[in-house]
Amino acid sequence: MIQLKTLLNCIDNSGASVVECVNVLKKKRPATIGDRIVVVVQKQRAAGSEGSGTALANKVRRGDIRHAVVVRVKKELQRPDGSLVRFGDNACVLINKAGDPIGTRMNGVVGQELRGKQWSKILSLAPVHV
Amino acid sequence: MAALPTMRPLGCLRSLIRPQELMQSQITRRFISTAYSKRPERVPLPPNLPEQFLSQLPTRLQPQNGPKPVKVYPAPPSVRKVCKNPVEKVVELQMAAHDPKGERKALFDYRRNPRSVKPGDILRVTFKNGDPFNGVALSIKLRGIDTSVLLRNELTRVGVEMSVKVFSPNVQSVEIVQRAERKVRRARLYYMRSRKHDRRSVENLVASYMRQKRAFLGGSRRQN
Repeated sequence: MIQLKTLLNCIDNSGASVVECVNVLKKKRPATIGDRIVVVVQKQRAAGSEGSGTALANKVRRGDIRHAVVVRVKKELQRPDGSLVRFGDNACVLINKAGDPIGTRMNGVVGQELRGKQWSKILSLAPVHV
Repeated sequence: MAALPTMRPLGCLRSLIRPQELMQSQITRRFISTAYSKRPERVPLPPNLPEQFLSQLPTRLQPQNGPKPVKVYPAPPSVRKVCKNPVEKVVELQMAAHDPKGERKALFDYRRNPRSVKPGDILRVTFKNGDPFNGVALSIKLRGIDTSVLLRNELTRVGVEMSVKVFSPNVQSVEIVQRAERKVRRARLYYMRSRKHDRRSVENLVASYMRQKRAFLGGSRRQN
């Protein structure tokens, strides 16, 4: 149930840590796993906290408007076989206009619904999927 | 009728007045003449009319054209009598199809079977597509063929809950990894979602259980 003003965790290394949903794309209902949304970066990760190197400057800054894909939702989701899945938080991954992830790594479990919605690139970056 | 004054209209005013009187009287008379009279009653056909006279009757009165008897069909057999409780029947059929030996049913019937899965136990559910799901059983909903178990676990520091339909053909096996440490006093352990009571990740427990199991089975891998 991601809608206007929902705060989500950003689980990639693009530099954002908390983002706020400002629009749900391609549907008139609250977004769920696998849906594309527009977000505003509200909180940045501290630069240099992840790894070390020259190219680790945050790719996004506070106030940036980006597209994102929802990967975890608190609201339970029913699978076609009748089972329900519920996560402990709402989380997303930032993407560019073409649909490729901005970050290069992801930390955290993601929902398997991404597979049916052409987000296999994100699914392959994720360490665990349920 | 009196002649209307055509030639000299003002010459005979009296003749203009008189016909009205006449008409009045005619109207009253007509009222009297059109008094209600009852319709003459229809004369019934004489009984035992000889056969040769029947052809002289109008066709609608001839005996072969009279009203036909209405056909009354018997009521169809009541479905309620055939099958008293159809839902129960369907559940029975489904159970026979998905759990012919009744093992799965015994495994989750925690009200009757003392050796069954109970809330608070740690379970490992393996699916047909290969990926397992481990977790603490928070609740077991006994609903016949729709029986489901709610598992909670923590993956990469995020709580994950999954409600699995026990008799689903996608579920390959259900194993009890660890029994509840002490007897829980609730049927639904939703309080384990709160931070204070959360079991956090059970992956380590399950991993050690799998190691033990593999050692016990002596190298033969994956016997579900």
